[in-house]
Amino acid sequence: MRRFHHCMCALLALSWIALPLQAQQPTSTVRGRITDHSSQQPIAGATVAVAGRSALTQSDGRFTITGVPVGPATVTARMVGYAQASQPVNITEGEPLAVDLALVPQAINLSEIVVTGYGEQRAGNITGAVSSVADSQFNPGRVLSPQLLIQNKVPGVQVVDNNDPGGGLSIRIRGATSATASNEPLYVVDGVPLGTGAGGGLSAGRDPLNYLNPGDIENITVLRDASSAAIYGSNAANGVVIITTKSGKGRSGAHIEFNTNASASQVTRVPDMLNAAQFADAVATYAPTRVDSLLGQNTSWFDEIDRTGYGQQYDVSLSNGTGDMGYRLSLGYQKQHGIISASSVDRLSLGINYEQSVFNDRLHVSTNVRGARSVDKFTPGDVLGNAAAMAPTQPVLNPGSPTGYWDWNTTNASPSNPVASLALASDQGTTWRSVGNIQAAYHASFVEGLTANINLGYDLTKADRQIFYPNNLAAQVRQGQGYLELRNNSQGNSVLDTYLDYTPRQTYGPGMLNLVGGYSYQQSHAEYPLLVERGLTSNLLGDNGVPPALNVTPTKTVTDYKLISFFGRANYNINDRYLAGISIRQDGSSRFGPSHQWGTFPAVSLGWRISQEPFMQGVGGLSDLKLRASWAQTGNQAFGDYLYYPTYTYSDALTKVQIGGQFITTIRPSAVDEGIHWEKTTAYDVGLDYGFSNQRFSGSIDWYQKNTSDLLFNVPVAAGTNLGNFVTTNIGQMKNTGLEFALSMKVFEPRPGRVNWDASFTASHNSNELVGINPSKSVARILTGNISGGVGNLVQVLQPGVPINSFFVFQQRYDAQGKPVYDPGTPTNMYVDQNADGLINDGDRRPFHDPSPKWIFGHTSYLTYGKFDGGFTLRAYLGNWVYNNVASALGAYQNLTGSAMPANLQASVLKTEFIVPQYYSDYYVEDGSFLRMDNITLGYSFNLKNQPLRLYGTVQNAFTITGYSGVDPTSGLNGIDNNIYPRARTITTGLSARF
Amino acid sequence: MNRTIPILSLTALLSVAAVACTDPTVAPKSTVTSANIFNDPNSYLAFLAKIYGGLIVTGQRGPDGNPDIQGIDEGFGEYLRLYWYLQEMPTDEAVIGWNDPGLPTLNTGTWDAGNSMVNAMYYRVFYQIMLVNEFLRQSTDAKLAERGQNDPVLINNVHQYRAEARFLRALSYWHGIDLFANIPLVTENDALGATPPQQAQRADIYAYAVSELNAIIPDLPTGAPADAATYARATKAAAHMLLAKLYLNAGVYTGTANYTGAVTEAQAVISAGYALEPNFRHNFSSDNNTSNELVFVAAQDGGNTQTWGGMTFLIHAGCGGSMSAGDYGIDYCWGGYRMKQQLYAMFDTTGNDTRSAFFHTAGQQVNVDNIGDYSNGIAAPKFTNKTSGGGNGQQTTMVDTDFPIFRLADAYLIYVEASIRGGGGANALTYLNAIRERAYGNTSANFATLPPVDTILAERGRELMFEASRRTDLVRFGLFSTATYLWAWKGGIVGGQALPTGRDLYPLPGNELIANPNLQQNPGY
Repeated sequence: MRRFHHCMCALLALSWIALPLQAQQPTSTVRGRITDHSSQQPIAGATVAVAGRSALTQSDGRFTITGVPVGPATVTARMVGYAQASQPVNITEGEPLAVDLALVPQAINLSEIVVTGYGEQRAGNITGAVSSVADSQFNPGRVLSPQLLIQNKVPGVQVVDNNDPGGGLSIRIRGATSATASNEPLYVVDGVPLGTGAGGGLSAGRDPLNYLNPGDIENITVLRDASSAAIYGSNAANGVVIITTKSGKGRSGAHIEFNTNASASQVTRVPDMLNAAQFADAVATYAPTRVDSLLGQNTSWFDEIDRTGYGQQYDVSLSNGTGDMGYRLSLGYQKQHGIISASSVDRLSLGINYEQSVFNDRLHVSTNVRGARSVDKFTPGDVLGNAAAMAPTQPVLNPGSPTGYWDWNTTNASPSNPVASLALASDQGTTWRSVGNIQAAYHASFVEGLTANINLGYDLTKADRQIFYPNNLAAQVRQGQGYLELRNNSQGNSVLDTYLDYTPRQTYGPGMLNLVGGYSYQQSHAEYPLLVERGLTSNLLGDNGVPPALNVTPTKTVTDYKLISFFGRANYNINDRYLAGISIRQDGSSRFGPSHQWGTFPAVSLGWRISQEPFMQGVGGLSDLKLRASWAQTGNQAFGDYLYYPTYTYSDALTKVQIGGQFITTIRPSAVDEGIHWEKTTAYDVGLDYGFSNQRFSGSIDWYQKNTSDLLFNVPVAAGTNLGNFVTTNIGQMKNTGLEFALSMKVFEPRPGRVNWDASFTASHNSNELVGINPSKSVARILTGNISGGVGNLVQVLQPGVPINSFFVFQQRYDAQGKPVYDPGTPTNMYVDQNADGLINDGDRRPFHDPSPKWIFGHTSYLTYGKFDGGFTLRAYLGNWVYNNVASALGAYQNLTGSAMPANLQASVLKTEFIVPQYYSDYYVEDGSFLRMDNITLGYSFNLKNQPLRLYGTVQNAFTITGYSGVDPTSGLNGIDNNIYPRARTITTGLSARF
Repeated sequence: MNRTIPILSLTALLSVAAVACTDPTVAPKSTVTSANIFNDPNSYLAFLAKIYGGLIVTGQRGPDGNPDIQGIDEGFGEYLRLYWYLQEMPTDEAVIGWNDPGLPTLNTGTWDAGNSMVNAMYYRVFYQIMLVNEFLRQSTDAKLAERGQNDPVLINNVHQYRAEARFLRALSYWHGIDLFANIPLVTENDALGATPPQQAQRADIYAYAVSELNAIIPDLPTGAPADAATYARATKAAAHMLLAKLYLNAGVYTGTANYTGAVTEAQAVISAGYALEPNFRHNFSSDNNTSNELVFVAAQDGGNTQTWGGMTFLIHAGCGGSMSAGDYGIDYCWGGYRMKQQLYAMFDTTGNDTRSAFFHTAGQQVNVDNIGDYSNGIAAPKFTNKTSGGGNGQQTTMVDTDFPIFRLADAYLIYVEASIRGGGGANALTYLNAIRERAYGNTSANFATLPPVDTILAERGRELMFEASRRTDLVRFGLFSTATYLWAWKGGIVGGQALPTGRDLYPLPGNELIANPNLQQNPGY
C-alpha cells in the first residue's frame, strides 16, 4: 500500500509539472446543450468539436469543452442520423462561452441505440449485421412465445414452431452450423445468458422461453453475423438473440397499461385418410377375411379429437419514471386450449424492473426479476397416430368394454382408440422459472469516460412432468400394462459479468475510441431425477402417486457446467464515416478435457459510411449508405456435458446378466474421444446499409459465408480403436452461404390526416453443404431421420457434398399415366438402379433435396388512417422439402393384412396402389414451398373519458397456398411430417388501454 | 470521493474473485469414472457380466433406451438377432416379410456394403472384442495389486474371469472370420484410441482363436449339465465345442481341413456329461435352463434380462397368421419369419418326426410366392415362452427362454460329419442314430450304415433349423452362393438363381472402409 501511495504521489507531481506547460497559450471553456430540432429533446452522445477539442454530450444533452484556445472558431455538433450543425464563435480568455445547437433529424433511425453484447451502439455506426425489432413492430395476435414476435421480421432468421400451443420453437439464424450440437441461437435476456450453451434453457413443457411474457418485451435484437456475436465466443456460432424487457424509464409519471384478448382457434388441415366407405372397399378387396370385423360406422377420428381452442389473456402493468428512477411491475395471465383435445397451456407471469441513478448519475443500478409458472398439458403421444390409423368403420364408444370405449379385441399390435387415450391417459408438466439480475454501472469520476459495470444474474428452473397411461387402455393391455413417468428436473444457472467500458470524451488520433474489457463466470447445476414404471397394478392414483408396478426404474442424472471468459473489444469511429471494430473472447469450458478447455474467438469488422463523404452529399436523395465487411470466429459447445470423460454406466434392473445363478448388475465403459474441442465457425460478411429520402426507404443487403470446422460428429470409428462403434469427435466441416435483403419504406410521404403505410420486405437465401465428415473427404454417410413405419427406417443422410439431412431415397419410376410403378418382383422396374448393378439395394438410394428452405420471404404492411390501424404479414418459403410420413407409412394395402387388425390408409394409396410400404420412395418427398398469410390485424383507437383505448382483431394463419399434400409444410425442422400437431387458424379480439 | 471508495473496493474484490476463478474443470458426479470404478472389487464380475450380456442385451437400459452400438435400431442391433438374420435369412431356411432396413436384401442375397444389418453385426463383433480387451487390460495381477486388491479369492476368481473373457473374444472372432473373413486382429496389447488397426488374414485369426482356446481351457470351469454355477458361462466343454466348430470349417477358413481335430473336440464335448433331452422342444422352452443338452447359452430372463433381440425376437417373430400368441406364452405375434419350401421339404411331416410336430400349417401355404405375405411359407414356431410342461413364463413381452448357442446334438452332428469326411472316430453311426431316435422316439428312422455327407446337411437342417448355423453349413458344403442348389428367392427371383460372386462372405461395412483405410473390401463388393 505504501508503495502504491508513493506512485500516486509521483504521478500527481508529474501532472503539476505538465499542466503549466499546457497553459502557455490562453484558453477558455465552451459549454452548451445539443437538442433535437423537431422534438426539442436533448441528444446524448453527440460529438461537439471546436478548435481541435471535442467532447460527447451527456444524457441531458449538455457538454463542456475545456482548454479551447482563444480566437475565432467554429463549434460543430454531429450525431449520426442528424445533419451536422455548426456555429461560428469567438473564444475569449477566461469567459466560458455558451453555445446551444439544435440538430435537424435526417435519418433518425440511425441514431437509435441498439443493445449489443456488453454495450450498446448507435444503429448507424454498427459494423455488423444486426437487426433490432421494437415492440411496435412485433407480430400481433395471440403470441405465447417471444420468438414468434419476430417471425418474418428479420432477414436470415427462420422461426419454426411445431403448432402445439406454445410449442417448442426453433430459430435458425443463417442456417444450421452443426450436425451434433444445438443450432439454436444464444438468448440473452436483460444481460443474462439463458441455457447452458445455446438455446432457451430447461422446461418441463413446451418452449423454455415461455417464461417470458411477450407483453413485457420492449425490443428483440438479433446479432446475425459472427463479428457482432463473437463477443459471446463459444456460444455465438448460431447467432445471438438479445431480448430487452420494458422498463419504467422515459415514461414520466405513473401509468397503468392493460391489455386483454380472447381468441378462438380451429384446425386447418389434418391427414388425408380414407373415409369409411373407401376403407370398407379397400378391406373387401385386399383383406376379404377381415370384412366381418368392420362395424359399418362412419367415424371421422380427427373430428373426434379436435376442437375449437379458446384462449384468453390479461396483462396489466404499472410503470413510473421520474428523474433518477424508474420501475415497472407487470402481471400476466394467459390460458390457451389447443385444437387437439387435452392440450393446453396456462401461464402466470410476474415481472419487476427497477432502476435508480444515484450520486449525480454516477452510479446507475437496475434490477430485473421475472418469474413464471407454466402448466402445460399435452395430447397423449399416441393420439394423433391412432386418429390417422384407426379404422373409420368402427364406433367410438362401447359401453360394454372396461374403458367404455370401443377397441379392437386382439392381442396383436393394432391401432387403438384415440378418444380413449385422450380421456384416460395424461401428459402434463409444470415449469416454475425465474430469471433475474442486478446490474450496476459506475461512471468513474477519476477517469472521464470510464464506466465499471457489474452484472449478477441467475436462472432457476424447476420443471416436473407426469406421463400416465392406465393399464386398461387397449394398447397397454397388449403391451406394457400401464406406464407412468415422473420427472422432476431442476436447473440453477448463475452468471457474473464484470467489465470496464472506456469511452473517452476526447478524440484519439482522428477519431473516437470505445474500449470494453471484462470477465465472465457462468456456472450451472442441474438434476434430472426420473421414475419410470411399467406394469401398473392400479390406475386409481393417476399421475399423482406411485402405485406398485411390475417394473420400476428410478434414475437420476446430475450435471455441472462452467464457462469462464475474458473478453475485450475496441471500436474506432472517425467522424461517423470510417468505422472499425475488433473484439476477442477467450472461453474456458468444462465440456472439454483439461488440455482443450480454452478457446479464442476473434472478430474484426469495418464500416464505411459512404453517405458521409463530401462527394456523396445530396446525391440521389441518399440519406445513408454504409458498406460493411467483417470476419470472425465463433464457437459452439451446445451439447452434453462430460463427452470427453471416460465413464462407466451401470445397467438397470432390467438388463442384469445371469452369472452363477445370480443376476449381476453390469458396468459398461464409455467410448469417448478425450481430445474433443470446440466447433469453430469462421464467418465472412459483406453488407450494405442504404437509405433514401431521409430514410423513407431504407434497408440492407448482406452476403455471408460461414465455414464450420472441427464439426463434432458422432461418427463410426474404425472397429478396434474404441469401446463403441460411434464416437463423438471433431471431424467434419460445413459451409453455409447466403444472401439477405431487407427494405422498409413509408409508401406515402407521412402526413397527418392521410393514410400512412409502412411496408417492409425481407428475403433471405441460405445454402448449406456438409463439406466433409472425415479428413479424407471420401464418400461416407451417416443416416439420420427416423420415420414411423417398420423399425429403424432412416430417410435422411449426412453426406459430404449435399446439405445436411438431405433425404436419402430411391428414385421412383412412373408409368405413362404418372402413376408410381409397383412391381416388387422386379425392383428395378420400380426404382432407378443408380449404380447399374441390376439390383436395388442401399447403394441405389441417393440424396434428394433437403428440408431447409432455400429462400424465405417476408412482407409486413402496417397502415394507419385516422383512428384506424391495420396490417398483415405474409411469408413464403421456396425449396423446403417435406417427407410425408403419414402417406408412406399408411399408404400401402399391407396395413390391412398381417396379424394386426386393419389400419386406415392414407389416400395416396388410391393412386399408388402399393401393397408393401415403400418407405424409401422419393414419391413421398414433396416440395413444401408455400405462401402464407401469417396474420391480418385491424385496430381502432379512441378516447373514453380521456383515456386512450384500442380495440383490435387479428386473424393468424389466415390461409396457406401450397402444393404440399400433408398437414403442414412448415412444421418441424427435420422435414418429416409424421402425425404432427395440426396447424390452427386463430382469431383474436382484444382491447388495450392506458391510464 | 467517499462515495467512490466502496465502489472501488467492490470492483477490486470482484477483480480478485475473477482472477481466482479461472479453472473450468468439472468432474462427473452421477456416473462412475474410469478413475474409481475398479476400486470396487465387484466391478470385475460386473464387467465380465457385461461381456456375456453383450451377446443378448442391447444396452444398459431394459429392454432398450441406452444402447451399446449406434447406427441401427437398438432392438435390431442385438448380437444374436443379427447373427440369426445373417445365418438364416439368405439360406434355404427362413424368410421374413418385413421391409425394415437391410432385411429385404438379406432375404434375397442381394445386400451391399451399406446393409445396416450386416454393418451392425460387424460392429457387434468388434464391440465384444474391445470390451474383452479392455477387461483384460484392467484385470491383470499388476493392476489388482496397484489398486490394493489383495484378496486371494478375488485374485483367483479374476483369473477365471479372464479365461472366460478370452473365450468370448474367441467366439466373436470366429463369428467375425466366418462372416467377414479378413478383419483386424486386435488384442489387449493394442492401446485404445490408437490408429486404425491393420487387416489380418482369416487364417491368422483362425490360428489365434485356436491358440487362445487351447490356452484357456485349463483355467475354465469344468461345468455340468444344468449346473447353476456354470450355466450360461464359458466352460471347458464350451471351449471344446468352439474348437470343434473352428476345425470343422477349417477348410473354409484356411484352405486346409482339420476333420480329425473336429472329431477329437466334438468327442471332448460329448464326454463332458451332457445328454440329449428326451423332449426335443425342452431345449427351446422357457425352462430350457434345466435341459441337460445345452452346452452354452445366452441367458434371458423376463424379469431381469430384457431385450428385443435373442429369444424375444425369435419367439415373437416366429408367431403370426392364425396362431394364437398365448399358445407360445407371449403377448402378441410379430408375424415375422416362416420356412422356405425347401426347408419344409426336408422334413417327414407325416407325424413321425417330432421335430416337425410344432409346425403351423393352418392358413399357410408351402411355397413362398410373396415374401411380404405371412401366409406364404409354413410357420415353424420352434421357440416358445412356455415351459416344457406347458406353464407360463414370468411375463409375456419379455421371455425367459435362453438362446442355445451350443448344444450336444450339434456336437454329435459335427462328429458324424467330420468322421464321414475322413476325420476318423468310431462312434459316428451311434451318434447319428442317437439324434434320429430322439426325433422319432424309436429306431424306425435309424441308419444302418453311415450315409453320404449330403445327408448330414439335411439332418443338420432338420435338427438345427433356425439355430443360426445354416449359412456356415451351406458355405462348407459349397452350396450357399452357387447355382448347384437353388431355393426360393435366392438371388432375388422366386425360382432362385446363383448369388453374385463373393456372397459366401459379407462385405465389410462401407463406412468402415473409410474409417480404416487399412482395410480392403471383400471381392465382389
